[in-house]
Amino acid sequence: MKQLIIALSVIFIFSQCAKKTTELVSKASNVDQTWRKMAPSPAAARDISLGDYASFDLANGLKVIVVENHKLPRVSYQLSLNNEALIEGDKAGYTSFAGDLLSKGTKNRTKAQIDEAIDYVGASLSTSSSGVFGSALKKHSDKLLDIMTDVLYNPTFPQDEFEKIRKRTASGLASSKTNPEAIATNIRSIVNFGANHPYGEVQTEETIKNITLDDCRNFYNTYFKPNNAYLVIVGDITPAEARMQAEKYFSKWEKGKVPSFSYATPEGTKGTQVRFGNKDGAVQSVINISYPIDMKPGSEDAIKANLMNSILGGGIFSGRLMQNLREKKAYTYGARSNISTDKLMGNFNAFASVRNEVTDSSITEFIYELKRIVNEPVSDADLSLAKSSMSGNFGRSLESPQTIANFALNTFKYNLPKDYYNNYLKNVDAVSVADVQAMAKRYIRPDNCNIVVVGNKDNVADKLKKFDSDGVIDFYDPFGKKIEDKKIELSADITADGIIKDYISAIGGEAKLKAVKSIYSSMKASRMGQDVTLETFQVAPNKYAMKMNMMGMTVQEQKYDGTKGLQAQMGNKKVITDGKELEDLKKSAIMFEQMNYASLGYKLEVKGIENVDGTNCYKVLATSPAGDLITEFYDVKTGYLIRSVKAEEKMTMTTDYKDYKSVNGIMFPFSSAISGVAPTTLVLEATAIEIDKIVADDVFKIE
Amino acid sequence: MSKFIFTVSLAICVGFVHAQLNKIQFQEFTLENGLKVILHQDKTTPIVAVSVMYHVGSKNENPDKTGFAHFFEHLLFEGSENIGRGEYDKYIEKAGGTLNANTSMDRTYYFEILPSNQLELGLWLESERMLHAKVENVGIETQRQVVKEERRQRIDNQPYGSFLEQIMMRAYKVHPYKWPVIGSMAHLDAAVESDYKNFYADFYVPNNAIVSIAGDIDYDNAKMLVEKYFSTIPKSKKPIYRPSAVEPALGGEVRDTFYDNIQLPAVLMAYRIPAAGTPEYYAVSMLGTLLSQGESSRLQKALVDEQQKAVAVGNFPLDLEDPGVSIAYGICSMGTDVLDAERSITAEIDRIKTETISDEEFQKLKNQVENDFVSSNSKVSGIAESLANYKMYYGDANLINTELNRYLAVTKDDIKNAAIKYYNNNNRVVLHYLPKPVNP
Repeated sequence: MKQLIIALSVIFIFSQCAKKTTELVSKASNVDQTWRKMAPSPAAARDISLGDYASFDLANGLKVIVVENHKLPRVSYQLSLNNEALIEGDKAGYTSFAGDLLSKGTKNRTKAQIDEAIDYVGASLSTSSSGVFGSALKKHSDKLLDIMTDVLYNPTFPQDEFEKIRKRTASGLASSKTNPEAIATNIRSIVNFGANHPYGEVQTEETIKNITLDDCRNFYNTYFKPNNAYLVIVGDITPAEARMQAEKYFSKWEKGKVPSFSYATPEGTKGTQVRFGNKDGAVQSVINISYPIDMKPGSEDAIKANLMNSILGGGIFSGRLMQNLREKKAYTYGARSNISTDKLMGNFNAFASVRNEVTDSSITEFIYELKRIVNEPVSDADLSLAKSSMSGNFGRSLESPQTIANFALNTFKYNLPKDYYNNYLKNVDAVSVADVQAMAKRYIRPDNCNIVVVGNKDNVADKLKKFDSDGVIDFYDPFGKKIEDKKIELSADITADGIIKDYISAIGGEAKLKAVKSIYSSMKASRMGQDVTLETFQVAPNKYAMKMNMMGMTVQEQKYDGTKGLQAQMGNKKVITDGKELEDLKKSAIMFEQMNYASLGYKLEVKGIENVDGTNCYKVLATSPAGDLITEFYDVKTGYLIRSVKAEEKMTMTTDYKDYKSVNGIMFPFSSAISGVAPTTLVLEATAIEIDKIVADDVFKIE
Repeated sequence: MSKFIFTVSLAICVGFVHAQLNKIQFQEFTLENGLKVILHQDKTTPIVAVSVMYHVGSKNENPDKTGFAHFFEHLLFEGSENIGRGEYDKYIEKAGGTLNANTSMDRTYYFEILPSNQLELGLWLESERMLHAKVENVGIETQRQVVKEERRQRIDNQPYGSFLEQIMMRAYKVHPYKWPVIGSMAHLDAAVESDYKNFYADFYVPNNAIVSIAGDIDYDNAKMLVEKYFSTIPKSKKPIYRPSAVEPALGGEVRDTFYDNIQLPAVLMAYRIPAAGTPEYYAVSMLGTLLSQGESSRLQKALVDEQQKAVAVGNFPLDLEDPGVSIAYGICSMGTDVLDAERSITAEIDRIKTETISDEEFQKLKNQVENDFVSSNSKVSGIAESLANYKMYYGDANLINTELNRYLAVTKDDIKNAAIKYYNNNNRVVLHYLPKPVNP
């Protein structure tokens, strides 16, 4: 029955709106304006030149980068630690507490004195687990550096300030429970990277309770070392002045040994997994389609993959996601995608906020666009627009001296070739259509992704099952902790074979099923407001036919006569003699698939007990010799099959079986709801099921 | 996304620059059709910001057709006589540029930042938008829905996202600031073709706009190009509608509670203040700095640090063309009663009315103001917008160089008097945001 449903989705009646134009003006002008018709050509372009930077090392190993720019009379100092990310475990948040605490009191100043002194000169100072940042008018730069190095060298980690941070963080965490983006970010971190990776850690109300002052002190004592840091000075300052300041303020900082770590690469996502975070009363769903990717900064793929992402949904308005989900479908205010490089592990994320009713349709469009960029080469025009946009972006970014500083910092941090940024535009220009597709094939994974949705569970969640490879949505709390269904332990004596056996006896028993000579069924469905009827015939051992009627016409037919098959659609007939299509038709002729799992070579595995719409089910994974995955859910109480999820290369189809009734002592589901193949769920109701009815041979005849 | 931001709210940045340092040079002229033009040359980077500011915001709307100014900002990316649907973005992005627009209660602003050799492209696109914009029905329907999504994303689905409209509807009874920039969805649904035509004819005219260009330009060439593209656009013959409603005094404290999907209660207090640009406005603005800029500021130190009653506090005036409001707020820390936080904020405000600010604290204020103006105008896009703002609201683009003096002219007593006159209970709306009951 499964194959014929797929064909149903083909039958769509497209209606087109009449195109009407409102000219906003009837400003009649007798001036000749024909010259306006064409866009003007550009003037000669000026060369884009990268500004210079200077760099030098202090004796204690601190590397200093200086970018001189006199446009504004101010200077900024960024002290950036080159830390490896840490696993903080059940104390997640302690490194950020430590960073925060640096400016909360020193041997020489109280917090209030630090704040007063900084505000008095209109400067800014911030501290974090990855360093210290300060900026001020040039005339106040010594004053700033005096305070900045005081917090760097002499923090006292006061207990009362520590408790304030804990309290404030707790309030912030409470507040974040209603912020849909924050919830999505938490879930995404955990499902992408896993709990054993530093990027998979999330601060919670529990973890911040476990943090101690000693954790913070130890972190500071271990990692705040000059040989583990860069000092980036940008602004109204010459390299010579910068060197004097750096020597004066930072040379007494003592070097030390800094540990480094390595982490197992996150495995990535298998299949499509819907991860749902509930937000009561939400009027939109935040969708994040995401998974980890291994792409290092400056790697050969980085620029090409960025261009590919730009076409898909990067910063530009012309990106496909924006054009499709906003400008064409009006599902959202904006849809985009990101692809990030990282020393440890990067990630891909495609995202939008959409109204509740179109959550599932939006995911369908996301997946469509992801597949399209993998399967179809992009056009030259798309590529050239993306290149121009990316080059323009690069050119605009050079207006800020901080950009040059970041380029220098990245070059050192990630060991990039010295001329990486000088060659950037050249490398963008060299990317080909084939490169883009190669990147899409490597990094875009519509079949293996997390579909994170944060929204109104009651209105939205149910419709998303069809996107999940195993048909079961996982639910998460706002901090990304999985909400386990009340788990029923699977007792050790339950085996897959046993479950299948129980199912077979529940629906009538092996003897009865084996004796069946033929099955005829007639079903009814409603599609686009039209009634559709469906007749299927199966005759032992291996004949099958299906006929679908709509508006008095046969719109689709399938047949298998024991050796060859037929597919007919709207009058187009195709005889099938080999390949997967034939295999699929052959399978349709099997009356009770489960009885033949063993002989067909299926591998069976019990995956536990799961709750399906309020019913506890055994979850059984059946893998065909060809690698097709079927996940089946058998009611623990009745033994009936109530859901089957079939993951194929292109789609995941979920069928829910209901309303089991006896036909000559054999139980058949009289209602099946199919989702995942068409935009809406298709419900088929059986009007008649007959056993051992005599079927004329003509029915299977292939001409 | 930031495309088409509709509200000024928290992000207003007062653009001013030090009188002595790095003076911003510019040229300005007016075309015969009334279009004002400002040019600023900065050849450091080969880019140019091209912008048009229309003097139309939500306050120019008909009370039965709210949301039009912002809706128009969406529609005017749809196309023109010579630009097909969806091509605005493509032209700019193909040229390596970026574009955006935003709408406030007072004005609508469109801009492109382009490689400087594409200046003419920017002018062509902007002049097309002013001369003969065109929208297809499908575009109207699409953008209507997009605006609804924008509202859901930025207001309805964001904790505290509705605060500005909730305050303004209580702070105003007659002035059009009482309705939100994004407007009424029902009004947008009910709009018909003649509404669009009228709005365009009324407001999208050269005598209601300022073209401001900053970046790597040649003055003579830029002037010639502006004339080429804009001088033939006809001016409107009728006067442009400016609301004349004068909002009467609030006449007593307005107090209310709003239930939202939030975890931490918040208190918002909106005090009615004079229009931006008036001497008293500068005093009110300095008062806001005193209360909430920096860790050592009054509210920050009292509420967040010492009493730990709030996780965030602030006070910012809306710099509106007509008399606006200054909003003081606090988001309560866990377990703090909203009334308790309110009392502490009010206590800090009352202290300003009775105690004189010390010389040192007053000097700090001046230093902060100086630092802020020196830090602004680091980018040509910001300069183009500031020049247009000053010209539109105050008729003097050179305030980009001199507005600092207006701030520095404020005395300690001016701040104290502003607190006494405007920050009093009879002149404020107090709104408590409380978590929605679980089962309402």
